Amino acid sequence: MNYFLLIAYGILNMLFVLLISPLFISLIKIVKAHAQKRRGPPLLQTYSNLFKLLKKETVYSSNSSWIMRVTPLVNIAALLVASLFVPLLVIPQPTDLVGNIILFLYLLALAKFFMALSGLDAGSTFGGMGSSREMAISALIEPIIMVVFAALAFAFKTINIPDMFRGALASNVLINPVIILISISIFIVIIVESARVPVDNPETHLELTMIHEAMILEQSGKNLALMELSSAMKQLLLMGVLINILFPWGLTQDFAVPSILISFGAFVLKAVVLAVIIGLFESSCAKSRLFRLPGLFAIALFLSIVTLIIEVFA
Amino acid sequence: MIIAPLENFAEILIVLVLTTAAIIIMKRDIRSLIKTYALQSLLLAGMALLFFVETGIITLLFLAIIILVSKVWVIPHFMGLVQKKLNIKRDIQFHFLSPITALLASIVIILFVYLSFSNLLPELNRFNSSLFFLGATVGMSIVFMGMIVIFTRKQTLTNIVGYLTMENGVVLFSLFLTELPLLVEFLIVIDLIMLTLIATILAFGIDSTIEEFHTRLNPFASPPKDAPQKNSEDDKQ
Repeated sequence: MNYFLLIAYGILNMLFVLLISPLFISLIKIVKAHAQKRRGPPLLQTYSNLFKLLKKETVYSSNSSWIMRVTPLVNIAALLVASLFVPLLVIPQPTDLVGNIILFLYLLALAKFFMALSGLDAGSTFGGMGSSREMAISALIEPIIMVVFAALAFAFKTINIPDMFRGALASNVLINPVIILISISIFIVIIVESARVPVDNPETHLELTMIHEAMILEQSGKNLALMELSSAMKQLLLMGVLINILFPWGLTQDFAVPSILISFGAFVLKAVVLAVIIGLFESSCAKSRLFRLPGLFAIALFLSIVTLIIEVFA
Repeated sequence: MIIAPLENFAEILIVLVLTTAAIIIMKRDIRSLIKTYALQSLLLAGMALLFFVETGIITLLFLAIIILVSKVWVIPHFMGLVQKKLNIKRDIQFHFLSPITALLASIVIILFVYLSFSNLLPELNRFNSSLFFLGATVGMSIVFMGMIVIFTRKQTLTNIVGYLTMENGVVLFSLFLTELPLLVEFLIVIDLIMLTLIATILAFGIDSTIEEFHTRLNPFASPPKDAPQKNSEDDKQ
């Protein structure tokens, strides 16, 4: 095993996720704005927001404890480690060091757990409300995410994410029908995890609708920048999983500059298409009531269990 | 595993048909129910066309055309008209099972159908290909899922969609398992159009649900506890 290549892969993938993830937040906003006949923010708006926040000072509530201070760091650290698990440009050599799908899910859950704690920590009513809503939704969606990823593991006969992508790349089938079922489920998971419209509304700070925004309401300055960056990274990583199992074309296995450049272009193109689809999906439906959400989750559960049935019994 | 592209397309279509059936179970908006049904029929027509390309049997081409004309265009169009006249937008009342439990029940049904078909596997030579097995299973499951729609929903229009979904399941099943002569298929479709006509005319007569019809039949009877008149107001909002 070539450790040098592995480290190079890690740095490349991490930097790629870190630098390109805010782009898709703005892109989805632009698509939504155009759907409402508005112009929307410029493409690089999220970057300038992040830079502005990084320059500002951080203010802590006098009621808050160390959790408030540690949460942004835990979030960004968990997401940086998680970004090693999803190869977006180059698939690394087969190794046990990176890519376990269960650890990937636990890292995302760790970030979410600390975010909910920090919502409670400042003692504001909004934060507590956001945390309780987030945890109520998590209690519903986490088992479904487990089933979805279990179906994914069954379909590719591995629990290693790079191996899954390698399998998707190597398959002779145009699109494996089972993968379509899982992809619809993962699409729903992306919508839920990145706090998008039928579940949460990322645009407003309206008391009735906000979940994710309520939890980070007490964060400010650099900490807020870290929180927003980590949620952008989470969205890009889940989008990367969906893209690379459904349309892995362009993803490369050899560590050379030309193939990486091709892979870069292909991935950005595919991610832009997916972001447009997400934006259109968000514009096409209204925020649904909290009690209606299990219906959305049930479709994801149904499709992934059908996948399991097909994979286990066929 | 190398699969010919045509077979792969057929599998993708089967999977999408199953997804539309799941959406039909979950949806409450009647217009999108009708649209989903039209989409499901379009997928079936695509599948018949695909089989025609693969096998060259002319019957399948006619079947695709019949499905395209009757189920993608005529029936949804007619149901859309009825929906506009009845002015019911949503079906939010359920018997026995809520949509989520109905969806979970259909998971059990699919498992059941899968297991019972795999027991039949040695008996039928057609099952050699995994494609035919998948198609037959999904077809049979959709028949049962349509049945669930019929007995869990209150609105007559939704019941009709459930009936039509069952029929689509039969077509899918027959595409994969048995080769029905075109005449029988054609008669089924004519039967279906007549049934839809009769059922929708009946739907005009009985407003939106059978319960409301019952209260209109007995004007002097005391209104039932859950005041159906009020519920229909809720529907229109």
